[in-house]
Amino acid sequence: MKLSILATTAALIGCASAAQATNIEFWYGNTGNVEVAIKAQCDAFNAAQSEHKVNCIGQGSYEVSMQKAIAAYRAKNHPVLMQFFDAGTLDLMLSGAVEPVQDLLPDVAWDKYIAGARAYYETSGGKLFAQPYNSSTLLFYTNKTELEKAGIMQTPKTWEEVIEAARKLKAAGHACPFVTDGDTWRVLEQFSARHGLPIATKHNGYDGLDAEYVINTTFAAQHLTNLVEWRKEGLVRLAADTKAGNYTAAFNAGECAMMEQSSGSYAAAAKAFEGKYELTVDMAPMYKGYERHNTFVGGASIYVMKGHDKAEVDAAKAFLDFLRLPEQQMFFTAATGYVPVTTDVVDLIAKSADANSPKYATAKVGVESMNQPATPDTRGIRLGFYVQFRDIFMEETQKAFAGQQTMQVALDNTKKRGDQLLRRFEQTYKDKKLP
Amino acid sequence: MRSDSSLFSNRWLPILLVTPLMLLIVLFFYVPVFQAFYWSFFLEQPFGGSSEFVGLDNFRRVLSDPEFWKAGARTIVFMLSASSLAVALPLILAIAADRKIRLSLPARNVLVWPKGVAGASIGVVFAFIFNPFVGLMAPLNQMFPGIWAPGIDGTDAFLTLVMAHVWSGIPFNFVILLAGLRSIPHTMYQAAAMDGAGPWRRILDVQLPLIMPQLFLTLVLEFTESITSAFALIDTITGGGPGGSTTLLVYKIYVDGFRGYDLSGASTQTAILMVFVLALAACQFAFIGRRINYER
Repeated sequence: MKLSILATTAALIGCASAAQATNIEFWYGNTGNVEVAIKAQCDAFNAAQSEHKVNCIGQGSYEVSMQKAIAAYRAKNHPVLMQFFDAGTLDLMLSGAVEPVQDLLPDVAWDKYIAGARAYYETSGGKLFAQPYNSSTLLFYTNKTELEKAGIMQTPKTWEEVIEAARKLKAAGHACPFVTDGDTWRVLEQFSARHGLPIATKHNGYDGLDAEYVINTTFAAQHLTNLVEWRKEGLVRLAADTKAGNYTAAFNAGECAMMEQSSGSYAAAAKAFEGKYELTVDMAPMYKGYERHNTFVGGASIYVMKGHDKAEVDAAKAFLDFLRLPEQQMFFTAATGYVPVTTDVVDLIAKSADANSPKYATAKVGVESMNQPATPDTRGIRLGFYVQFRDIFMEETQKAFAGQQTMQVALDNTKKRGDQLLRRFEQTYKDKKLP
Repeated sequence: MRSDSSLFSNRWLPILLVTPLMLLIVLFFYVPVFQAFYWSFFLEQPFGGSSEFVGLDNFRRVLSDPEFWKAGARTIVFMLSASSLAVALPLILAIAADRKIRLSLPARNVLVWPKGVAGASIGVVFAFIFNPFVGLMAPLNQMFPGIWAPGIDGTDAFLTLVMAHVWSGIPFNFVILLAGLRSIPHTMYQAAAMDGAGPWRRILDVQLPLIMPQLFLTLVLEFTESITSAFALIDTITGGGPGGSTTLLVYKIYVDGFRGYDLSGASTQTAILMVFVLALAACQFAFIGRRINYER
């Protein structure tokens, strides 16, 4: 008697939990209007079906989110779905902590992903490790109103034109013609990619862990030296030179007239400019005489972490499927300025009634920028401990901007310290092979 | 002879009372310390997985890294400048508050309040106060453009840190030093005054020697504090920049470990830093502590 009651209770509990949705967690690092859009997608997914439930948890920034994922994974307390940023790609590929999405979802038409987005996250064998999510690329923003006030009617397309425009702006009394934060992604990675320059040997590490940095010998070194000179001339300002203290804020407030920034900040800039200034957004400027190549995909992608049961992985798959839906991609693009990453969505936007609406302004130019002719050096960056390299680059170049050393010395030091990182990475992952 | 243990009727009671605290210390201090020392001999993969025993390789790597020594040198400059100021200023304030000058009573209260402010909050406030465009230095910058630029100039950033640290150290040191001064018997001053010693003479020959135990305590605490507690200030004010000029060792450890996923290198530097702090405190006790007369 008692036994049967127990059995019934057990069966009932079993049924109840089967009927209950599988709860999974998704961690992301974005804040602001991007976070609002991510939350909206999570809510839409949970509302659209009752089988799975995803809890989307913001971690404040990409770096913090990665730190927490490492700690959580070591404590076996990690989420199923995790958004990681571009710079962590190789660390994750060798971590053994993630399952390649192409293995989990073999039937998805992954080849629909635009080449620039694929190349960054796929193995040398062509297998996609993560599902590209909030994908951005570097674009050139100008405050058209301010430029026209200084007599510049055409948006500059080359660095030569940018500097000419900056001189005119300065002559017209503008305190901050061009602003940058000197961030590695903007001034080195995207610059090298679109000018077809390597960042490291072995095609930026795609062909082996024994790569070495070459940034101090390519044309990027000349560009960075130019930036120092231009800053002395008062044409280029650093974030710390601006009243706002932050270069995007300085541009959005109208303090600075031009900047290079991710397509992901388009929505914020457009909103800040509303009714005050006219905004233009274009492909990032080239030096004359260089052929334009593709820019890297930036932003982040979603990884499926190992160590979860089938129900949880199924929920994760369902959520990934949901995010790939054209309407979801279009919603996300319109809400944030991040670019769509599959060709069908790019076509859908082009055909839609809103094709020329400002909300898709970055989609067109961003995809165009990533679809420029590629070389083996513009696939992406596959270098270990790359986040730390970015910090080293910033540290050394800041010294150059402050006049403590020349830019060439700064880049030589960066290369030296960067190579030490690569060697240590090689030794740390001695037992692993580059996939 | 009456031993202290006779205070408690039950022999287990004192142990029971101490256990929760000991558990916390073991969990949050000794275990991580052990882990750090352990990892300093291994090359550890960030996500776990296989780790390789490398002997003293990590120490060799860290000790031959010029960045480590630069961060170490900055730590020592910070320690000497910030902590001596963080004791000297409260000393002046305490001597002033101890004399029955006008407003010394409210000052005694007001000066203690900043103790309640967390390091990170102080950092946020100071970042604003020393902002080159809207802060205290803004008028100076308008007269001489670019003279104060903590976002570009490493020295300015370092000065901001020192000032924030000194400010945050005032309350505690002030309380300790004032307590020391208050405990000096009045008869001492009266006797000194009778012998014709003026105020300055009394400070030098009566007050300072008699508050040596308190001065020593504040100095020892400040020296060790300045090495580790600068973290919150650096993280909120400068982020280690510009150009690494405010990357003290404690911040470098954080950056290497958490931003660079170099768990082994960060552990190795932690081990070295810990040994340094212990050695420093030991030296202070050995060379200065012994000469202090605690009897009155």
